[in-house]
Amino acid sequence: MADGGRGLSLPLDLAQAIMAARPRVVAALAAALHDLDAAEEAFAEAAARCLVLPAPPRDVGAWLFVAARRRALDALRKKAAEVRSTEALAQVSDMADILELPEPIPDERLRLLFICCHPALGAEVRAALALKVICGLPVAAIARLFAVSEQAMFQRITRAKVKVRDAGIAFELPPRRDWPERLGAVLLALELAFTAAYADAGGELAADVGEDLGAEVERLALLVAELLPQEPEALGLAAQVLLARSRAGARVDGEGAMVPLSRQNPARWDGLRIEQARALMDRAATLGRSGPCQVMAAIQLTHARRAFDGRTDWAAILRLYDVLLALRPSPMVALSRALALAQIEGAEAGLAELDALPAERLALARPFHVARADLLAKAGREDAARAALGAALALKPPRAERLWLEGWRDRLA
Amino acid sequence: MQFMLMINEDESAYAGPDGAALLEATLAGHMKLAEDLVAAGVPFSGERLKPAATATTIRWENGTATLHDGPFAETHEELGGFYIIDVESLDAALEWARRIPVPKGGIEVRPVWPMGAEG
Repeated sequence: MADGGRGLSLPLDLAQAIMAARPRVVAALAAALHDLDAAEEAFAEAAARCLVLPAPPRDVGAWLFVAARRRALDALRKKAAEVRSTEALAQVSDMADILELPEPIPDERLRLLFICCHPALGAEVRAALALKVICGLPVAAIARLFAVSEQAMFQRITRAKVKVRDAGIAFELPPRRDWPERLGAVLLALELAFTAAYADAGGELAADVGEDLGAEVERLALLVAELLPQEPEALGLAAQVLLARSRAGARVDGEGAMVPLSRQNPARWDGLRIEQARALMDRAATLGRSGPCQVMAAIQLTHARRAFDGRTDWAAILRLYDVLLALRPSPMVALSRALALAQIEGAEAGLAELDALPAERLALARPFHVARADLLAKAGREDAARAALGAALALKPPRAERLWLEGWRDRLA
Repeated sequence: MQFMLMINEDESAYAGPDGAALLEATLAGHMKLAEDLVAAGVPFSGERLKPAATATTIRWENGTATLHDGPFAETHEELGGFYIIDVESLDAALEWARRIPVPKGGIEVRPVWPMGAEG
């Protein structure tokens, strides 16, 4: 950059600065307006005007905040003139008061997060709402992330916004004693988004909608960790997201096929993200309250150690899965535990564990068939392994995973 | 703002051998809740309704009204009573709604449309 990286000379930089400023600005607007839609609209209009300014503003966030709240106040005045209800008039005077507030932008991001993840909203819409309102992700991208039609996702988000506006949801931070319950909703929302983004190994969804979904989910997870530094599970989840993202460059080969964790080249992992995750987990550990997110992050961190000493401590991973299974029993956790066990006691031991799982519940889960294929192949039962791969492929995996499974099946033949 | 807390409960819970004792305990719970609302300075009103068997429903179809013997919808849980409370937010309303004694059933919480507001 000609001016030594100080200014925002390229339009791309300005667009990025606008996206980076968005959570803070939209949160401050939403807290003032008590209306997510109005906050988003005001921000979008301000952003559009910012992009065509002859010279980019020195402080993009502050400029956007001032422009957007002026726009929001105009909209409110217009509405109040139309309806003349006492409620609308009161809102105008409230907003006028806020206009007088001095800079800097009040930090309302945590409030907004708790509102988007309010338990009065359906669990299936909370993450979508947070990604839409806080990160500004387009509805099309969110729809792909959660594998529903754009129309359905649009309706879901619109309905949630109307509920937030009309149902009387408090625009306040919940009392501290309610945080564990509310935080659970926030973390679950993030986890859903993360799982969906991570399943997209080849970036197929992302390519379709022109967004890096994993990056947005990571941004949101880091924001939550930054806002809740005393909540070890929030730190654990952010660490998990960072560790998964640290492997992004190694997850797909030159042909676009997915590369499973065990075959990834650790030299291609992002050491900075691994370090950042480790620091988050160290901090979480000092808080002395363990939980599933921290255990899952610890498992991922144990895998990441391979980058430093070239080996995987399967005994440690197996112990962590035992803890996770006690904290959050599920067939998928049991499945991962069986794979870890097989590393120590052999493929047959792992297969015996898999056979004990509820096969009918897992029939539609690709990881179940892939795990069976892996252990069957290791046990020398190649025909059965091929059949298991066939079952996984029949479940229509995304392209990168399909290419990997097909290549594997060909090698077995 | 005002919220209506609708008590949808399974009336049959009060019909069994322990029904009378259960009803007595539930009514005592309502008395206690009313006292707490008064103590907290929350404006409220509320009524208990007679059983769903006493309900008569008017149904409109194509401009004609027909009478039906029974409640609007046949479900296991019927509207058994309600409160209307005036509190700051849904969060506060939910807090109070959680304290309504319901042996079997649930509470629906809905904001009351304010008089004179647009819509």
